[in-house]
Amino acid sequence: MTNPEQLRALQDKTAIVGVGTTEFAAIYRDLDPERSAYDLGRIAFREALADSGLKKSDIDGVIVSRLPHYGRMCEVLGIRYPRFVNVLPGEGRQSGIALQYAALAVANGMADAVACIYGNNGRSTGARYGGEDRGASTQAMFEAPFGMTSPGAVTSLMFRRHQYRYDTPVEALGQLAISNRRNAALNPNAVMQQPIEMDDYLNSRYIAEPLRLFDYCLINDGGVCFIVTSAERARDLPNPPVLIHATAQAADITPVYVADDFWYEPMSRIADDLFATSDAQREDLAFAQLYDNFTPTMLFTLEGMGFCEQGEGGDWITPERIGLRGELPLNTGGGHTSESYMQGWALHVEAVRQLRGDCGERQVADAQYGLYACAAPLATGHILKRDGA
Amino acid sequence: MTDATAQKPLPPITRLTKPFWDGCREGELRIQFCNICDRPWFPPADNCPRCLMDDWEWRTVSGHGTVWSWIQMHQRYFPGWEPDEYPITIALIQLEEGPYIYSNLVNIPAEEIRCDLAVEVTFHKATDAVTLPFFQPRR
Repeated sequence: MTNPEQLRALQDKTAIVGVGTTEFAAIYRDLDPERSAYDLGRIAFREALADSGLKKSDIDGVIVSRLPHYGRMCEVLGIRYPRFVNVLPGEGRQSGIALQYAALAVANGMADAVACIYGNNGRSTGARYGGEDRGASTQAMFEAPFGMTSPGAVTSLMFRRHQYRYDTPVEALGQLAISNRRNAALNPNAVMQQPIEMDDYLNSRYIAEPLRLFDYCLINDGGVCFIVTSAERARDLPNPPVLIHATAQAADITPVYVADDFWYEPMSRIADDLFATSDAQREDLAFAQLYDNFTPTMLFTLEGMGFCEQGEGGDWITPERIGLRGELPLNTGGGHTSESYMQGWALHVEAVRQLRGDCGERQVADAQYGLYACAAPLATGHILKRDGA
Repeated sequence: MTDATAQKPLPPITRLTKPFWDGCREGELRIQFCNICDRPWFPPADNCPRCLMDDWEWRTVSGHGTVWSWIQMHQRYFPGWEPDEYPITIALIQLEEGPYIYSNLVNIPAEEIRCDLAVEVTFHKATDAVTLPFFQPRR
């Protein structure tokens, strides 16, 4: 079991001091089969480094994800002698883990400043997130022969079950998709800025029924980087430090990906850990950036983390509550369904920008504490805090 | 993505999984059971995930289960199914013995499917080597 005292030892020890992304909207319509993930990662790194006020020689840790190899990334960036380096798989659930590893490394003296770098050229290279040949895997042996494939399909199975148990209306998912799009319309970097209404949602085509096109993340190219250093050092840098105030991880590894409790167990454990080790409680959060590969994932996260009772998410999700002026604004930059499918990485950047007060028209009021959470077989959550809050 | 020659994906058969597919060809659904703790598991693994022992065997199970959930796949991720075969009805079945298995639901119109529906296995010969376990409403 978690020891809150030990977990609390990380509180406010480290900060995100630099964030950078590629231009998502501009390159969405500019497919380039030769665009590499490294090319996207290096642009994001350059932006984040400039944003941080650090020098390249200050970066002594590099964690990459979805980039095939740390070696090539470091080579391109001319980072020859880092002292903390690794690669995480290109799964969205790894973005929060990248931040955790960076914070752990910095807090424990294994690195002074860690750049976490992500690059995704999936759109240009024709990624479909379904139907791949997976060799002699469980997927190939016991799923594909029945036409079963894609993360969206497993999420759809879970949502159907949730509907069956709790009478959850599909319109709740529609509200999430509409809200994301509304926020994206205020985000010049968002890929999809055209507003949608409930009719548009309900008329969008089914992918894996009951899930529709507008329940799905985009497939787009992009890169993201965030740089983590000690809170002490962060206070000497130009931007207001965004502290890693509390962070936790929990997993539910099943043979079929599906969790029969909609990830209630791991998400409630993360919530328990976060709120036991944070000065902030649910009502103190200015926003939540919730992993939204598919809209039901947000619903499951809200229930698992106790923003409402399990089974009540369908009623709890209202435009008034989740909008930018609501009690818990969700995915303020537009999320994966409208801003950019950066597998959680851009959600972290949005959290940092909100806490710095840099979000212009979509800025939420009084942003002192904010949540990031990702429900998945490997789940994560953080509470980030504006320094001085 | 249309490929006139595309086939439906067939399972690669390995040393570990061969008894499962042999069973399907013989009209029996077989899964692994631990001889120490008597627990079943699926998909196949090299040891009992509970007690980690290698002393296990394939046993024929009832073929009965319930629909944990189901979807209709509209996106043509696999070109081996012709456009008019979509949507594909895919279910996650919980076997009476406990483990879950993905399959297709057959012999039932979509509007009659619901979660927790009682189903039974029915075998469909795909090729000489592969017979697939589908599920239908329990008679």
